[in-house]
Amino acid sequence: MSKPPTWRVALVFALLAAVPFVPGVSRYHLLLAFDALLFGAIAMSLDLLIGYTGLVSFGHAAFYGLGAYATAVLLERGVLSVWACLAFALVVVGLYALVVSYFATARRGIYFALLTLIFAEVVYTFFRYTQTFGGSDGIQGLPDASVWPGVLIDTPTRKYYLVLAYLLGAWVVCRRVVTSHFGRVLVAIRENEDRARFLGYNVQRYKMGACMISALLTGLGGAIYPIRAAFATPDLMVWTESGEFIISVMIGGLGTLVGPVIGGAFFTLLRDKVSSVVDWYFLVIGAVLVVIVLFMPRGLLGLRRLVRLRRGRLPA
Amino acid sequence: MRRLTTLFLIVLVLAVAGVWMAAPALSQSKVVKIGDLGSKVGVFEGYGKYQTMFMQLAVEELNAKGGVLGHKIEMISEDDETKPAPAVRKAEKLILQDDVKLLMGAVSSGATMAVMDVTKKHKTIHWNAVSCAEFMRTTKFHKHYFSNQPDSRMQAAGLAKYIKDKMGKKVYIFYTDYAMGQSDGRQFKTALEKIGGEVVGVAGAPLDTKDFSPWFGAINQANPDVLFLAFAGTDSLRLMTQLHSFGMTKKYKLAGIDCFLLQQDLPSIAESMEGFVQLAHYSAFNPDRNMQSVNERFKKKFGVDGNIMAGAYDGVMFWAAAVEKAKTFDADKVAAALEGMCLDDTHIGKQCIRKDDHQVVMDMHLYQVQKGKNIPIARIAGSDTIGEPMVGKDPVEGFTWEIKKKN
Amino acid sequence: MDYLVAVLLPQLLHGLVFGAALGLLALGLTVIFGLLGVMNFAHGELFMLGAYAGLGVIGATGSFWLALLAAPLLVGMVAAVTEIATLRPIYHREPLYGLILTFGLALVFREGVRQLWGGDMRRILPPFPGSTPLLGMLYPDYRLFLLAASAVVLLAIWLFFTRTRAGIIVRAAVQDAEMLDGLGVNVRRVFTLTFAASGALAALAGLLLAPVFTVYPQMGVEMILLAFIVVILGGMGSLGGSVAAAFIIGVAQSLFSLWMNPQRVAIAIFGIMIIVLIVRPRGLYGREGVLE
Repeated sequence: MSKPPTWRVALVFALLAAVPFVPGVSRYHLLLAFDALLFGAIAMSLDLLIGYTGLVSFGHAAFYGLGAYATAVLLERGVLSVWACLAFALVVVGLYALVVSYFATARRGIYFALLTLIFAEVVYTFFRYTQTFGGSDGIQGLPDASVWPGVLIDTPTRKYYLVLAYLLGAWVVCRRVVTSHFGRVLVAIRENEDRARFLGYNVQRYKMGACMISALLTGLGGAIYPIRAAFATPDLMVWTESGEFIISVMIGGLGTLVGPVIGGAFFTLLRDKVSSVVDWYFLVIGAVLVVIVLFMPRGLLGLRRLVRLRRGRLPA
Repeated sequence: MRRLTTLFLIVLVLAVAGVWMAAPALSQSKVVKIGDLGSKVGVFEGYGKYQTMFMQLAVEELNAKGGVLGHKIEMISEDDETKPAPAVRKAEKLILQDDVKLLMGAVSSGATMAVMDVTKKHKTIHWNAVSCAEFMRTTKFHKHYFSNQPDSRMQAAGLAKYIKDKMGKKVYIFYTDYAMGQSDGRQFKTALEKIGGEVVGVAGAPLDTKDFSPWFGAINQANPDVLFLAFAGTDSLRLMTQLHSFGMTKKYKLAGIDCFLLQQDLPSIAESMEGFVQLAHYSAFNPDRNMQSVNERFKKKFGVDGNIMAGAYDGVMFWAAAVEKAKTFDADKVAAALEGMCLDDTHIGKQCIRKDDHQVVMDMHLYQVQKGKNIPIARIAGSDTIGEPMVGKDPVEGFTWEIKKKN
Repeated sequence: MDYLVAVLLPQLLHGLVFGAALGLLALGLTVIFGLLGVMNFAHGELFMLGAYAGLGVIGATGSFWLALLAAPLLVGMVAAVTEIATLRPIYHREPLYGLILTFGLALVFREGVRQLWGGDMRRILPPFPGSTPLLGMLYPDYRLFLLAASAVVLLAIWLFFTRTRAGIIVRAAVQDAEMLDGLGVNVRRVFTLTFAASGALAALAGLLLAPVFTVYPQMGVEMILLAFIVVILGGMGSLGGSVAAAFIIGVAQSLFSLWMNPQRVAIAIFGIMIIVLIVRPRGLYGREGVLE
């Protein structure tokens, strides 16, 4: 299936952009929507890695958290420009991702999952247990960021548009990757790594590329978080947070890009709304995960994709 | 085509659900909401649950007298998971969605300070009854924040002299390594050294440590007279059990902070806690008339003795009195009314809110654990502990963790 | 000399005690990986279930010793059922599914326990509370017992793997399951029983450590990472390796905490792990090609 007509994508984004104007939508709802879309976008970038390249990263929370701390450190020092924060996050996360992806893609099998997990744990332990960046309390009380001098991102509406812009950007990047030659090689690697190697592709370099792109997108998402929350804490980097990203991807559908966005949004809303009322939702999530792996490995939206794959068409 | 249509439908459904959720509930009578935010699960749940119970007692008593300003009080409780991030999310929910006029919380100092940013931004009356880091009434202070919890500076002022005079000169300070514990460690070290005591060692263990034995070797090596402990909740339970099994509870004298262990947890480790001294404002075993009166009421409703979370009860009472005085729920006016306000017959007698840093001045007692009960051994006047107001000033300026070795 | 006795040796002892229990935990994990090719993310939860099962048995019978026998059996059964129902169908699939599935199982177990027993910390009192004067301090008898008990169990397992027919079959299966199938062994049953046994081992470790660490739903999450590290260091699939590595990690953790803040010890341990993974991914005694 080739890419869906642009007008459909535009329609969805237009609808999302109109949300703040819907009567009855409160500031609180916008903040909730922010969280949902942010998580969804990150899940989408993770899908590039898991769904398209077949690499399970259990350390994505580290990219997310590092991006957040990058912004926090700048905001704390009075550097309010959101562009500076994003750029700095790209550098910080980029360096870390370079190191991790280089070593993690060096060998095969579950090596990648384990190494990303352990690297992330090192980062988490460093932020949580040393006082350099505030220890377990993190960096708090951050000021609002600005788009350009004098224009602050201070209302929930502006924050919402920020995350929407990020989602749009991330979507565009992911689509480009997936429909390019690079993306097709990734799929080939997922299907049969050895064959890809025999065909002459430098498999490690492609894997690293996929990992870097996914990591950077996630890092940008993390960079946006303190702009909404006014803090960055080590809890953003616990490995179970990485697990939650994976859950979102699985629920939404591996290899679909759109699926994880919905999966991520759904999961966030579930977690925040439902947790006030009922506390056994994680049990359900775990069970759903098991069921999905056993019976619907391609997730909810991916079922259709699996069928198309079998018919010999490339996933778009 | 179908895939995007599904997506579109989902977005639509979510939007509709959002609108439906946002629609204001029909209410028959006038209601005002207050928020109860704290650790309901995990290491500090004992404090969080009792905060809820004491607030319920206060709300019930107030509503029986017609509520406040003719409004019935409704309380909404949220769990902050003892972490700053969820605390902020729940605080936002309570303030933006539930429109609470009073936010009580949180339990963990880290969470409380994070929530202070939210209450400052949205101008909500914020009362804290248990967090004791020293930053809340100094660098993080804002004008809608009030507290009746003796913070670490106050506790140090009240307890240090007793430790040095009656327990021993050489003290080892062992604290929980996050905002509260670090604060206690700092303040007690400062206070002890100022009056000529000797701090022979300091060490911090992370919140929620399971096994404290890695730190015991160093403690034994330092050979103190007194072991000063700044932990809380389940950490304290584990710590005391382990200290006891290593014979250290008999070897050293014990002292600690007021929230070290709640009364309800004491019986299970009574033997290890024997002789433990702390400064606190509440004990069910204090024969004082006022104390017993409050405890009886609490016990009648919940079937168990109260504890230091009685501060939450007082907080609600203060707020209600201020609202009646200001004749409005407006945060600025209520805050102004609260300044200087006194309540007379609280569990500890008279409590007054100091204007400078919104801290309650009240008497306290030195308590010693005897056979599993907190028995008062001395009364300390409020003026002796409150210390000078330091709003906006850095309370840790010039502090160093360095141990000054004396040969 | 004083320092050695008062501080160093006790730390060493702590490390051995912890390492022994860790060894029990890691052993199960490495056997499962070697045999089934599945990195069991739910292993920590089996450990936790052991403690809770123990809680239940003690609650019903009042006997810690009975719990020590019954809890591993109960958890072993749970593990067997889980293996048959959820793992068997996915052995032929890519390992990524095994990771995600066991992650989901971990969630189910953890939250299930939270629902049944509540999230509060529970305590299991040591069956004997005394202490012995040792190395200048009073060392709790229970911890000494823990060390002894773990050592005995490890020895028993070693004997099982080297001296009994069943043990040799399992070792052979770890090396080459297909060959074994060709020899007429009911490989599926071996898989299930081995998985059950690994669960029982984890449960035993959980119950043995419970009087020290207390019982709470998150206890598995915290151990699993350490268990992974031990397995990797020792070599995935190597039994002797994981036991040796467990002691090494246990002692290293203990000794490091003398020289650096105990919190940061974890960083040092992880750092070592990364170096090992990069330089010699097969670990101490692992097979070549598993990760290379």
